[in-house]
Amino acid sequence: MHRWVWRLFLIPGAMWLVVLFVVPVGFIVAVSFGTVDIVGAPVYGWHPGNYTPILQSIYIRVLLRSLTFALATTVICILLGYPVAYFVVRFGGRYKGLLLGLVILPWFVDYLVRIYAWVSLLGDQGFLNGLLHAFGMPGSPPLRLINTPYAVIGGLTYDYLPFMILPLFAVLDQIGDAVIEAGKDLYGTPAQTFFRVTLPMSLPGLMAGCVLVFLPSAGDFATAQLLGGPNSYMMGNLIDGVFEGGGFWPFGAALTALVLAVLFVPMLLYVRYALRGGGVLSG
Amino acid sequence: MSEADTIDRAAARATAERQELGAEAAVGVLRPSSRLARHRRSPLDRPRFLYVIMAFVLVFLFAPIALVVVFSLNATPSLATFGGFSPRWYEQLMHDSALLSSLFLSLQIAAATTVVSTVLGTLLALGLVRAKSRWTRPTQTVMVWPLLNPEIATAVGLLLFFSQFGLTLSPTTVTIAHITWAIPYVAIILRSRIVGLDPEIEDAAMDLGATELGALRLVVMPLLWPTIIASGLLIFVMSFDDFVTSYFTSGSGVPPLPVAIYSMIKHGVSPEINALGTLMIVLSVGTVLLALAVFRMRRPVAKGEAVVDLTGSGVA
Repeated sequence: MHRWVWRLFLIPGAMWLVVLFVVPVGFIVAVSFGTVDIVGAPVYGWHPGNYTPILQSIYIRVLLRSLTFALATTVICILLGYPVAYFVVRFGGRYKGLLLGLVILPWFVDYLVRIYAWVSLLGDQGFLNGLLHAFGMPGSPPLRLINTPYAVIGGLTYDYLPFMILPLFAVLDQIGDAVIEAGKDLYGTPAQTFFRVTLPMSLPGLMAGCVLVFLPSAGDFATAQLLGGPNSYMMGNLIDGVFEGGGFWPFGAALTALVLAVLFVPMLLYVRYALRGGGVLSG
Repeated sequence: MSEADTIDRAAARATAERQELGAEAAVGVLRPSSRLARHRRSPLDRPRFLYVIMAFVLVFLFAPIALVVVFSLNATPSLATFGGFSPRWYEQLMHDSALLSSLFLSLQIAAATTVVSTVLGTLLALGLVRAKSRWTRPTQTVMVWPLLNPEIATAVGLLLFFSQFGLTLSPTTVTIAHITWAIPYVAIILRSRIVGLDPEIEDAAMDLGATELGALRLVVMPLLWPTIIASGLLIFVMSFDDFVTSYFTSGSGVPPLPVAIYSMIKHGVSPEINALGTLMIVLSVGTVLLALAVFRMRRPVAKGEAVVDLTGSGVA
């Protein structure tokens, strides 16, 4: 069979992605420079002025807040995810598969059900405040947990922790026991073996995990909407407000294009890494 | 000062000195003379803190979900105190016709998404591995990008695309949008499976007179079926659960289930959501466990490998 038959196989899927992914992303940029007609349909043109409101401090603040939340989430995911992945690989023994499965399983619970779980846990009438009240803590609610930045970061961590654990597990699992033993045989302390052997060897997985946690956290909006409230709004909430709240679409497109521009560098890093054979596309 | 205290202090001083000695020895690591270093205790050798973090993460991950399940059976509407078991919220759910139509709509969208994306994704994976052309690399880039792109941006792009071409937002536009992120998923999972196949099996089939297409149909496809079914099941769960894309691409009609839940939560918590959430947990987790079981049928795999493979090394 000739090669062109295999190439035919590529066509439907590739065309679908070009028409329904690449072109729509192009539309975001095109609409962001356009304006609208009298019924609100986009009219294309050159109106870079759509971007100027973003320079107002309120939008800058939301952008910085989104990036800060995403960064905090990434750091917490490293602090929790690395020990977990390390533990599962080194000390999981015959429960390795089971432990990894347990850690990943909650991710398959519906995204909104997970957020709802946190709302019912942290809410003013929620479980934790009910406990505190039962123990005689005064105030109604005894402790303000929901509608705080901490609730949003906690929720984001809950949403995306598995994305840190999985790539770390994949790289740590590849490091043979022989390498670790060699480190010890060369009189390295366990700490030195970790910092000079294990950690450097796991860096690709750590990088992948950081990108995979940072990107969706920075673009999230339901978590901030339901756990954070207006004082913790992220870029996604502003975009949602424009498109679902009947706002000026070119401005919404400009906000979306800004998010894409900011996140482009980490995306590019990951794609390059993946295509070099480090990640999902490796044989 | 009692005698016991004095002895304690002396012991503490001795311990501190020993530790200092150990630290010095550790500095001289890689020098054979520092044999002390080998036996020095370290948190990485006796990973008690690893057990603690592992336990904490499991509680962190499962406690909120367990809370949803437990309070779905609560006899009172409270989410803070448990007032006895009762199926009342499930009964209320069974009579909520709006939610039930959302549930069936989401099941339909998930089924259609699964069929189309599994077919297109499998073809794409086969093409990517076998057609060595200058288009392979650009296609791979286009394939990875949707998985990394913030979902809200993909959804907004599709919303603009649909409105530009005058497509009214409907369950059809939601399905088209879901297929768009599902194709790369299927393709990546299938691709790693195809790359892992032994090429000699196919060569053997062709030596025995099979055409290349015959070898694909008779030899390769039977090996791929478990992976195809497993990835299809995963796509079903992900489409059924998807909120962001559904939210931006659904119209004013019956909302898909996650969109319906979103507006319910916005209006305040209710144990009815607990009951619905519990049903969704059972459905999703059950399907994923089924997918994992099917996936492991292909061959004995190393522990944990199935989970990593099936989730595309963690790209989501």
